[in-house]
Amino acid sequence: MKIIVFIEQIVSTQVKLQGVDYFDSTRVSEDDLVINPSSKNALEGALKLKDQLGAEVTAVCVRGLKTNKALREAIAMGCTDAIEIADETIYTYDPLLLAKVYVEALGKIGEFDLVFLGVEEQSTGSYAIGAMLSEKLGLPSVLYAEELEVIDSGYKIGHVLEGGRKIVAMPSKGVISCSDSQYFTPRYTSMRGILTAKRAEIPKWTAADLGLSSSVVGEEATSLIEVSFSNIVLEKESYIIKEGEPEEKVENLLAKLKEDEIKLGA
Amino acid sequence: MVKTLVFGQIREDIVEENTLGVLNKLTEISGISEIIVALFGHQIKDEWITELGKHGASRVVSVKAPELEVYLSRPYVKAMLEVIEKTEPMLVIAAGTVYGEDLIPRLAVHHGVSCAQRINDISIVGDDLHFHTPVRDDQAMKVTRIEGTIKFATSRAGAFFVNENPAGGSPNVESFDVTFSEEDMLVKHIEIKKAERTVNLKDAKIIVAGGRGVGGKEQFQIIRELAEILGGEIGATRACTDVHWIEETYEIGQTGQSVSPDLYIAAGISGAPQHVSGIKAKTLIAINTDEGAAIFNFADYGIVGDLHVILPILKQKLQG
Ligand SMILES: Cc1cc2nc3c(=O)[nH]c(=O)nc-3n(C[C@H](O)[C@H](O)[C@H](O)COP(=O)(O)OP(=O)(O)OC[C@H]3O[C@@H](n4cnc5c(N)ncnc54)[C@H](O)[C@@H]3O)c2cc1C
Repeated sequence: MKIIVFIEQIVSTQVKLQGVDYFDSTRVSEDDLVINPSSKNALEGALKLKDQLGAEVTAVCVRGLKTNKALREAIAMGCTDAIEIADETIYTYDPLLLAKVYVEALGKIGEFDLVFLGVEEQSTGSYAIGAMLSEKLGLPSVLYAEELEVIDSGYKIGHVLEGGRKIVAMPSKGVISCSDSQYFTPRYTSMRGILTAKRAEIPKWTAADLGLSSSVVGEEATSLIEVSFSNIVLEKESYIIKEGEPEEKVENLLAKLKEDEIKLGA
Repeated sequence: MVKTLVFGQIREDIVEENTLGVLNKLTEISGISEIIVALFGHQIKDEWITELGKHGASRVVSVKAPELEVYLSRPYVKAMLEVIEKTEPMLVIAAGTVYGEDLIPRLAVHHGVSCAQRINDISIVGDDLHFHTPVRDDQAMKVTRIEGTIKFATSRAGAFFVNENPAGGSPNVESFDVTFSEEDMLVKHIEIKKAERTVNLKDAKIIVAGGRGVGGKEQFQIIRELAEILGGEIGATRACTDVHWIEETYEIGQTGQSVSPDLYIAAGISGAPQHVSGIKAKTLIAINTDEGAAIFNFADYGIVGDLHVILPILKQKLQG
């Protein structure tokens, strides 16, 4: 059994870069780069099946400033191997172009059973990639998965739904996107994993290796054109208390609420 | 003029409210010439059509089939592609529910274009459409347009208000058949586990809500105690209801309850868009150890600190 997990590397949301600055790659240092938490949910989904069924798990990363770092962490978590697809010509802000790259990567990898992804591409706020990929592959898919169980015909999967959870059955070959649920809570890297990751050879593919040119996956090929990108100016400053002993912070808050005539309590 | 096709979503036997919000938004934009709604199901109820008409639909195109009883990607994509072919819209839009976010990107793939997601505004510029999507925890706004003659978009859940006094009329109705094969039904519906709604938070004036930062089932006690002192209700994120720290009924957000209290205290909550989209509070107070947490962008007041230290002090001070 072979599982491919497409992961994304993002700038940690903990960095203090506000608004559009967060997206400015020149302001980011290597320490700020982390695996998208949503991608980690996907890695966990694949690794659970590896533990249970002995699957081979390959992590693939196209998006990110230092994808090699993300892939070593994926191996340290337990992935069998990893593939880096690094090429500046690939315009990664368009989920459709990204889906094209993923399709070709899967073609080059060869046989596979399942594809796992995170629900959200955090750097663009896009939810489209899972849907677009499965549609391009013509494979069955379940998005927003929260729990998964192996059954005879494939998988029984519960996914997020307004007002509850929906349970469906999916055949054994397909695409699954994973949510931030208890079932998909990512494991930590292990000592052994870290050592394996250090030694791992991670092949690096370019767009050309996948038979893709910039007229197919470059910015010139995108149908999603950015018109403008600007900071949202808040109408009202928020009053956030960062300094002081806990007691002082609470007193500070209560005093400010009183001043602003905000009543606590009925 | 922009001919628009809306994916009509039904939830718990009525038209889903974000879909009504999208209709309301579309009726406010001059330049939208026709609002068509696609409606699928095993049965199509007249009340749904009446409701859609009231909220601005001028035409309803319905497909009835047992395969369309509950949303599943393949059959819905197939039916929707046929409706698109018949109606030739310039814009295809769905409310950004789980189903809407599943459907729209797939339709876009079949038309060879990308899609705009989670928009909170649309504008008509010349003869093109501009889509507004807030990103980076609502700190920045990305405006995009889509090349080509047909454009696909989803709205952000909770972004558009439902018109309380809609003045629309009765839409033209047409229906046609779509046939499905076994290939279309590879993913099979088993059941929907509805979260039990034992407490209605819609009218709550004060809510003290806890997130994953609360740390456990027993630890939720401090949230309950504070809510009691303030005479309010408790609330939670999906992260907490998922692990059963607290009953599902208290989930707030896109897939939980929508609330509009005077005061919302968010403790140990990161501020995911799916959570905050369910909150319209007059005053929001956040308590979080991470000064960079998104919730502080939505908060009016906040304390950077450990909720298990801050809340007991707050409780004590309030008790006088
Ligand atoms: C389609 C879809 C729909 C969804 N619908 C909903 C929904 O309706 N409602 C919902 O809530 N979620 C929903 N989610 C899930 C949502 O995306 C987030 O995963 C979830 O809201 C996160 O919950 P959280 O903030 O409690 O946890 P986390 O994101 O893990 O945040 C925990 C926070 O607690 C802070 N913290 C930790 N310890 C402490 C401490 N001691 N004191 C103070 N702060 C502390 C941390 O800094 C962090 O910010 C949905 C997801 C999807 C994909």
